Amino acid sequence: MTQTQQLTPDLTTGTAARTRGLARSYGTGATEVHALRGIDLDLPAGRLTAIMGPSGSGKSTLMHCLAGLDQPTAGSVTVAGEALEQLDDDALTLFRRERLGFVFQGFNLLPMLTAAENIRLPLELAGRSVDRARFDALVGTLGLADRLGHRPSELSGGQQQRVAIARALVHAPAVVFADEPTGNLDSKASAEVLDHLRRSVREQGQTVVMVTHELDAAAYADDVVVLVDGAVREHLVAPSRDALVQALGGGR
Amino acid sequence: MRTVLLASLRVHTRRYLAAALAIAVGVAFIVVTNALASAARDGIVAGVDLPYRDADAVVSDIDGSQAAALVDRARERGDSAAVLGWTMQQVSGDGIVADQVDVGAVADDSRMRWQRLVDGRMPRADGEAVVDVNAAKSLQAAVGDVIRVGSGARAAEVEVVGTVDSPSASVSSSVYLTWDAVSAITPRFFVDSVAYAAAGNTGGLVPALRAATDGTVQSVDDFVDDRTQELAQGVDVLGYLLLLFAGIALFVSVLVIANTFSILFAQRTRDFALLRCVGSTRGQLLRSVRREALVLGALASALGLAVGAALGYGVVALVAALIPRAPLGAVSLDPRWLLSAYGLGVLVTLVASWLPTRRVSQVSPLVALRTEEVAEVSAAAGRMRLVLAAGSLAAGLAGMGVAVASESAPAMVLGGGLSFIGVLLLGPLVVPALVRLIGGAAGRFGGPAMRLATGNAVRQPRRTAATTASLLIGVTLTTAVLTGLAGARTSLDDEMKSEHPVDVTLTGSTATPLPGDLLADVRGADGVQDAAAVPGVLAKVSNGVGSLTLLAPPGDARVVERAALPRPGPRELVLPYDVAPDAGRVTVLVGDRKVRLKVRTSEGFGTAGLVAPETLRALGSDGTRAVWVRADDDADPEDLGGDLDALAGPVAADVESGLQQRAYVTRQLTILTGAVVGLLGVAVVIALVGIGNTLGLSVLERRREHALLRALGLTRRQLRATLAAEAVLLSVVATVLGTVLGVGYAWVGDLTLIRPAVGGGLRIPWDQLAIVVLVAGVAGLAACVLPARRAARTAPAEGLAAD
Repeated sequence: MTQTQQLTPDLTTGTAARTRGLARSYGTGATEVHALRGIDLDLPAGRLTAIMGPSGSGKSTLMHCLAGLDQPTAGSVTVAGEALEQLDDDALTLFRRERLGFVFQGFNLLPMLTAAENIRLPLELAGRSVDRARFDALVGTLGLADRLGHRPSELSGGQQQRVAIARALVHAPAVVFADEPTGNLDSKASAEVLDHLRRSVREQGQTVVMVTHELDAAAYADDVVVLVDGAVREHLVAPSRDALVQALGGGR
Repeated sequence: MRTVLLASLRVHTRRYLAAALAIAVGVAFIVVTNALASAARDGIVAGVDLPYRDADAVVSDIDGSQAAALVDRARERGDSAAVLGWTMQQVSGDGIVADQVDVGAVADDSRMRWQRLVDGRMPRADGEAVVDVNAAKSLQAAVGDVIRVGSGARAAEVEVVGTVDSPSASVSSSVYLTWDAVSAITPRFFVDSVAYAAAGNTGGLVPALRAATDGTVQSVDDFVDDRTQELAQGVDVLGYLLLLFAGIALFVSVLVIANTFSILFAQRTRDFALLRCVGSTRGQLLRSVRREALVLGALASALGLAVGAALGYGVVALVAALIPRAPLGAVSLDPRWLLSAYGLGVLVTLVASWLPTRRVSQVSPLVALRTEEVAEVSAAAGRMRLVLAAGSLAAGLAGMGVAVASESAPAMVLGGGLSFIGVLLLGPLVVPALVRLIGGAAGRFGGPAMRLATGNAVRQPRRTAATTASLLIGVTLTTAVLTGLAGARTSLDDEMKSEHPVDVTLTGSTATPLPGDLLADVRGADGVQDAAAVPGVLAKVSNGVGSLTLLAPPGDARVVERAALPRPGPRELVLPYDVAPDAGRVTVLVGDRKVRLKVRTSEGFGTAGLVAPETLRALGSDGTRAVWVRADDDADPEDLGGDLDALAGPVAADVESGLQQRAYVTRQLTILTGAVVGLLGVAVVIALVGIGNTLGLSVLERRREHALLRALGLTRRQLRATLAAEAVLLSVVATVLGTVLGVGYAWVGDLTLIRPAVGGGLRIPWDQLAIVVLVAGVAGLAACVLPARRAARTAPAEGLAAD
């Protein structure tokens, strides 16, 4: 842990995540599917990066590998200064709960826990105490103060995703991974959620990596990585909407 | 729909395993019961006719003196009469003393001797005996040994001249003497029957015997038929009792199966909705899932039959090998039983699946179109359920109140059953509350795993309640039996103490008093807490009692259970039951002094008569005639008996020990407790299969949750711990609730049945109950091993991707 903490300062200016020759395939022989074919990628810290691509382009697999949820078949992944391929399952789990935050598409919250309990979950799993001020500030910013005692089934879709964002941020992670965070939301709730993610980057220097296939969502991003057939087609820095459309459209 | 049926059976086989196991165990239980009962019937009935093979008539329902009269009649006429029966006597040999050994008689006429000679020869004179081969081992008696049978002046020394096999379970004994030798030892011989063979013409024998005796006279065939039927009935009753336990096991199976179906169908809701979308009718869907249940029941019951038959033969063979004296014959499985067991297994499955399948047909086709997870909301308890629960609880409590007031067993069973149904109905309210309570308390120390487990355990109150209900039944019954029998043991112990006011007596029966140093020697023996010398005299007692030691019991509370020992009045003589004559008064003669005393009977002080100290003074005591011993509480009855016998031998004193009989009764109760707990154990095992099953199915359901938790940083170990905690929580809650209920029912049972019969009170066997809770906890842990391993194996990304 001390080692990663020492590395933290350069992350705000340096690279949050890096992959070299990252490949992931499923099955063997005739049924082998190559989801990722040798990806070299440097994701800068303190920015909101969107990973885009059509269905089956491997964007979710890329995120799973970056976040230590899935084991690459080949290549290396370094996140927050930690080489993930050198960690065993337990170390990887501890790394995730100490250094990463997650927002998923539909299923994000444990149904039997209240909103507040869901937010505190990563800290509780790590056996760490809650930073009260940070918790209150987060809950205030996300407009959840009066929803803390509710269970997920009693919250709207937008509220559920805001709870998930609060949970992803509560332990000040090095990187937040968001997998289609607006997939199940209407446009108003989507805008809210994306705005919160962008504010965390702008105001707190948070690093966020977001997988999405929605152009509107990608418009909130600083950078966009376009993935096609398991390979990086383009890594656009602060693209204009036109450039983005062109990059995406060119694949079709 | 057949394609769907077959496909779903194929796909869901693994998930049905637990339910199939529950049914198979229940069915196998019934088959094993049949196998055991048939072997026992065969064994007990075998050889029933053997003692009567060469007889012409059988006389039964008579006592020892009537039997003696028949033997005399036969001897006068040159007929043969063999007395079949036994007397329980002390048998002592070289260093071994055994109380309560069954001693029987060999017939005078060699034709009527049904015992099969194994070694040596049959007795030719009254001083000779044969011993059963198996009993010879425990008595350590070999051909050529001299053993002493009986106690006191009537005891006889006999030489073992042979060993025999006793192939008739109904009238076999351990030791056989001649009829004359046995009747000299005791006037109280229990007569089962007398086999009578006429020397010449057998015509008119039955009427002639009827005229000669008060007993029942039957032809040999009639008697053997009646006896066979009677014995078989006894076994059948035992078989039906065993079926009661099979019934309990099957009832628990119903709960497990119903729960399995509920969970499986809930998981398949979207499949069913899709089927409805593509055009299957409600009826088609319902028929399809019911057929699924039918197939499951049919296959599992068949498995149960096979396993049960194999186990039945195996158990009988094992018992026969381990306990050669056990009256077990050949196993013959009754096709009607097998058919009933099979039918019951299928029926139980169908009944258990009825409600869950009905819910399937109510699935709306729209469910299939929803993309999000089907949120399964199960209400805690409907109003109807609450009303029913309150009603049966109230009725049950009232019934038990009536039972206690009127000492009525049926009212107790009815009240107990109703109140238990009330508790089961309240389960969805009570069980989650208890889980929260216990889980909350443990969560303070248990960390996130415990807190998550508590949350998981209470989120579907009905499922939780149904899962725990099955274990609750087993634990409640087990606890009730353990507590009830512990109470009965206390009561019996008290009664045994009053039957045996003195632990061990050493009574002299010769002309000279016992030597003075015997007391010190006895006090020095291992396991002797204290001993006292009892003054007395050897007297001649009229009315056929003969030479008997008279004692004036000491008032020594350290040796004698004071309240239990009869205190003879000045003109009274207390005699042991097996010595006392029928007369109300006897004359007692010591030298030329003579008194007439009123006879009272009692037991537990050896072969001696008790008189008041002034009576003894009047007759003239000549010193110590007996030593009475109080044993240490933890003394081994066999060892102590042997040690004291070694001391008593040289001075010709008889040792009588109440300890062995006490130990025997205690052992019987222990065996009974073990048997009942073992039989209930089957139900508990099924319940644990159910817990593992619920957990396993829940794991499938919570795949995404587990993936999420793993993504957020729950380690594999923590995930396993969460599932383990959930299983242990469920089993401990069921066990604690069951223990409390069981003790409550035992208390009611004690008030209703035990207290009116033998007094005494409830004793809670804390140690045994602690073991029950511990075993349930550990078993709960074992039940979660497979599901937990499976859950922990899934990589987080896999779970998240599954959609």
